[in-house]
Amino acid sequence: MPGELPPAGATWPERRRRALADPAMRAAVAKSTRSLAVKKEAVFATYPAAEAMRKRAVIARRGSLARVDALLDELTRRVEARGGHVVRAAGPADVGRYVLDVARRRGVQRVVKSKSMATEEIALNEQLENAGLHVRETDLGEYIIQLAGERPAHILVPASHKTRQQVRALFDEEAAACAVDPPVGDATPELTAFARRQLRADFLAADMGISGGNFLVAETGTLVLITNEGNGRMTTSLPRVHIAVVGIDKIVATWADLADLLQQPALSGTGQRLSTYTTFITGPRREGELDGPEEFHLVLLDNGRHELLGTEFVDILACIRCGACLNVCPVFRTIGGQAYGTMYSGPIGVVLTPLLGGLERAPELPKSACALCYACADACPMEIDLPRHILALRRTEVERGMEPWSDRLTFELWGRFWANPAGFRFTGRIARLGQRVYVRDGRLKGAPGLVGGWTATRNAPPLARESFHEWWARRRASRTGS
Amino acid sequence: MVGAAACLEDRVVTRKPSAGSLAEASGRDALVAEFVESWRGLEGDAWIVRGGRDEVRRTIVEAARIMVEDGGPATSCRVLAWSTADLASLDLPGLLAQQGWEHVPWPTGARAGEAAAGTNGAAAAGDVPGAEEVTRTQAELVTLAAASDLGITTCAWAVAETGTIALYATPATGRLPSLLPTAHLALVRPSQVVRTVPDGLRLLAEYMAREGDPPSAVNLVSGPSRSADIEGDLAVGVHGPRRAGVIIGEW
Repeated sequence: MPGELPPAGATWPERRRRALADPAMRAAVAKSTRSLAVKKEAVFATYPAAEAMRKRAVIARRGSLARVDALLDELTRRVEARGGHVVRAAGPADVGRYVLDVARRRGVQRVVKSKSMATEEIALNEQLENAGLHVRETDLGEYIIQLAGERPAHILVPASHKTRQQVRALFDEEAAACAVDPPVGDATPELTAFARRQLRADFLAADMGISGGNFLVAETGTLVLITNEGNGRMTTSLPRVHIAVVGIDKIVATWADLADLLQQPALSGTGQRLSTYTTFITGPRREGELDGPEEFHLVLLDNGRHELLGTEFVDILACIRCGACLNVCPVFRTIGGQAYGTMYSGPIGVVLTPLLGGLERAPELPKSACALCYACADACPMEIDLPRHILALRRTEVERGMEPWSDRLTFELWGRFWANPAGFRFTGRIARLGQRVYVRDGRLKGAPGLVGGWTATRNAPPLARESFHEWWARRRASRTGS
Repeated sequence: MVGAAACLEDRVVTRKPSAGSLAEASGRDALVAEFVESWRGLEGDAWIVRGGRDEVRRTIVEAARIMVEDGGPATSCRVLAWSTADLASLDLPGLLAQQGWEHVPWPTGARAGEAAAGTNGAAAAGDVPGAEEVTRTQAELVTLAAASDLGITTCAWAVAETGTIALYATPATGRLPSLLPTAHLALVRPSQVVRTVPDGLRLLAEYMAREGDPPSAVNLVSGPSRSADIEGDLAVGVHGPRRAGVIIGEW
């Protein structure tokens, strides 16, 4: 059984159409992905230690994945020995139930969250809000997305598709709703100041903090949390209760492994040598300490991960969610993250979404959202062979007969005709006859069906009046004739 | 995993904060210079002090003026500082009183001294004269910290390559002073600067071997809070301190 992901919302053609019709979003995505990709290149070029560390990190990550179960047991023992609570969750409902249970027991009303893909994956906010809790996303990008009622458009920079004017409009609306002063302008410091003021109040009022986790160190039961804004520190330091929801794939065996991994999300994600705030959390506050959470809960999320162990897809679990594959992907750079209809967009999303949520959840992604250019395979710091996985998923779709009958018919006929020279020549003659109506000024325009999709955005040349085969035969005939 | 562990063995830090040779001393200068360059590259403020205790004290005042009031006359300034013996030797209450500023020591319970021994600058706190022996509730502390202009801490170690300081959470060395005040100032001894993050984690491993466990929280801080969430444009001071400063010197 795979896990469970929130539904995509609109259909793939509809999402794609919406994305392509939004020039502001496309410009913003093109700019942010280019900038992140350039920064990544630059840091690897100027920081010689990075590449050696990355190579060791790949070994560390794969080695830990080879013995996940034993490591999870060790982690659980260590966290519990330090007074923390550990629970295994099979899917979204398990997490929701557990968090709500803790919330009820501790009289929690207000929750602050730091950015976490795992909680996006299980739509935790929705579950908590439906139960009457007030939930606030505190990463600046996630805050913007939450106000807009959208899904993150990029793993790392969730609001990278929004312009500052759009952000200001959202903040103005929020200010009116809260009866506070709106931002004084749309310059970055002015918008940031507004968010800081609003979110500071949320932090100070919160009873529970929910975070994700970048890594888990089994040998000491330590949660590793990486942020740039400091909202992760706030979320895990201020409220009485801290709950971390972390995928089981985040586990590493030792601190020696972590030493090589720790800088990788920053190096490949934002081109920093290390993220601004890195926090190691081992249990709740200890005796004599005056700050930090009284309770620490670690929810280990499976949601389809465990069954990938031992399959050809296992290396997908080595993903550190840096977003490097998104930034180099021509499809992502064209349509942005929201067209994917899932919180995991870009090449990693094309693979991870069907693997976690089932192939039926997103058959269009492996099939249509990849040009097999292999840029992602080059960009991935964990050396995940994304294109190979995408091909494997395509193969599975065909084996299961999941493609529509029109596809099957098209490829069946195409295969028949083009399997021999006579069939190939025949289709050429038919096409030449058929295209006559659509050729204007020597260009193919407004053709119907499949060809129409091609010519709608391209200036396609028509088939030549005479094919090479025909020309060759004529030439030979005339030579032998002379 | 044997492979990865063996790799790490090659990178064991051998440098100890002992009275070293001339070569060692100049190596340390280079590390300090690299640390400062990295830290400033992250929009952090940094001061290198060579003159000892009195100059460190003078620099604290200068740093506070710059970070809290942007160089203007800081007429009122509330400073929340860790209660370690290491910091006590600087007599912050006296220093801040001269400026007419308010000094709020991080309160330490009776048991705080034992637990804090050997962390964040190798100092115990239990015997600190003037340390508040009252336990405030967390809510009070949060309010106090959020209303402070400057948090002063030391650190456990610093990393030259990445411009990072490590803060261990213990009873005497709370999480809030480096988190909620408008600005955070950390005092770093030159001997605490190591080259790489793995070097620093090696020191944490030594702490774990000694104490049997990591601290409840370790925070690695590399400059002030930052975000590029609005059009990829760098914004400093989203959540944490708007400015982060370090003073590197002996006192």
